Amino acid sequence: MANKQDEIESGGGAVVLAVENVYKSFDGRKVLNGISLGVNRAETLAVLGRSGTGKSVLLRLIIGLTKPDSGSVRIHGQDISSLTLDQLGDVRKKMGFLFQHAALYDSLTVGENVAFPLDHHRREMARSEKSDRVRQLLAEVGMERDAGKMPSDISGGMQKRVGLARALALEPEILLLDEPTAGLDPISSGEIDELVLKLQREHQMASIVVTHDLHSAKTIANRLALLDKGNVVIEGTFEDLQQSNIGFVQEFLKQA
Amino acid sequence: MHAALTPPYEWRELVRQLDEVGSMSLPLVAIAGAAIGAVLAMEARSSLSRFGAKSMLPSAIVYSVVMEMGPIITGLVVSGRVGAGIGAELASMKVTEQIDAIEASAINPFRFLAATRILACILMLPLLTLAADATGVFAGWLTQTIVEPVSLRQFINSGFNGATFNTFLPPTFKTTVFGLIVGLIACFQGMRTRGGAEGVGRAATSSVVLSSLFVILADVVLVKFILVFFP
Repeated sequence: MANKQDEIESGGGAVVLAVENVYKSFDGRKVLNGISLGVNRAETLAVLGRSGTGKSVLLRLIIGLTKPDSGSVRIHGQDISSLTLDQLGDVRKKMGFLFQHAALYDSLTVGENVAFPLDHHRREMARSEKSDRVRQLLAEVGMERDAGKMPSDISGGMQKRVGLARALALEPEILLLDEPTAGLDPISSGEIDELVLKLQREHQMASIVVTHDLHSAKTIANRLALLDKGNVVIEGTFEDLQQSNIGFVQEFLKQA
Repeated sequence: MHAALTPPYEWRELVRQLDEVGSMSLPLVAIAGAAIGAVLAMEARSSLSRFGAKSMLPSAIVYSVVMEMGPIITGLVVSGRVGAGIGAELASMKVTEQIDAIEASAINPFRFLAATRILACILMLPLLTLAADATGVFAGWLTQTIVEPVSLRQFINSGFNGATFNTFLPPTFKTTVFGLIVGLIACFQGMRTRGGAEGVGRAATSSVVLSSLFVILADVVLVKFILVFFP
């Protein structure tokens, strides 16, 4: 464990996000059992595992929607659990979060959804400038013609694209993606993967992608971490996973 | 409270909620007020005739509507329509992670969602009550005039004879407490929902049931308060 933390801290100072020895239980059931992970700037880490292994809980801990039972989550070295609500808000403005089902606000149009973070955190922005920015974000995700539609009028894949655009509105340094391809057909999944790759190349963000889709993880991630029973079983490149002789890893690769 | 009283203020969302609570509830409240005014006129006419006090009918209708029936009917109608609406809306947002998304966007969900809705209920209830009072009195006059024609001016002059601001203002403004009850309960039930569609249904139902009950109970306390401090 100490080695893992040293590894995180010694990442040349480029570690943007660090999860250190985090434990989390719900109703007595241990979901995360001493997880430690680190993500550098312009790097994508895919967190893999079976359903119910705490992958989404990990993202919720990072964004501060849930607090760990013990351990810490550090953003640029700052432990977020010790922050006030206002300070946590400042940290959240540097992060973009794509929820598993996009979580678009269903009383707002597609364009209004993307403008939502700008309306609240860029109040000094002129209306025309805001409209241009929304148009640009929607164009980046291929949804520029759908700004006036309601979330209920578009497909799941399109909702994820809009969710991505909204997550990028404040030009975040860290991007968190919760099962970006879940529930999508293979073609739509591939399109989302290509989109995420393109955005990462252009925006150079540190990203964590939680997924059970191994193909997607291979496509978009620099490193992969495989969780089981609340622990990180292995962390490394896809080749590292392939060469591992840990039984669970081989079983996961075979079934995926 | 802290979220409601500290900046940044969510003016746009507040205006949207004032429209939702106010203008959307207005037709229902007006119809309910009119129905109560008509019923009061029919019942009061029958009772007062028995005691030879038919001339008191306008006052009986006006005082009953303005001092009690208008406020309580408005409170109950709004707790049904608005309470269920807010409870279901916020519950649906909770189970689809929209509230989490708001929080993840560094926006205080209590300030943006709850404080605006509660404040909208507090501000709109007295105005809706005035609308219920107006339609109640008008319907009372209409009901009376069908049986025994009397001009509206005469009816109103007779009805409001001897009334002061103390007659109207406290009962009307007690509905701000009704608004607080409806808004608080509906937001609380909605934002703590769990359990998918079933949870949304439960939140809507419990919002209506609890806010209606507490509006009625609060009315008992408030009427006593008004009688003591505004005799």
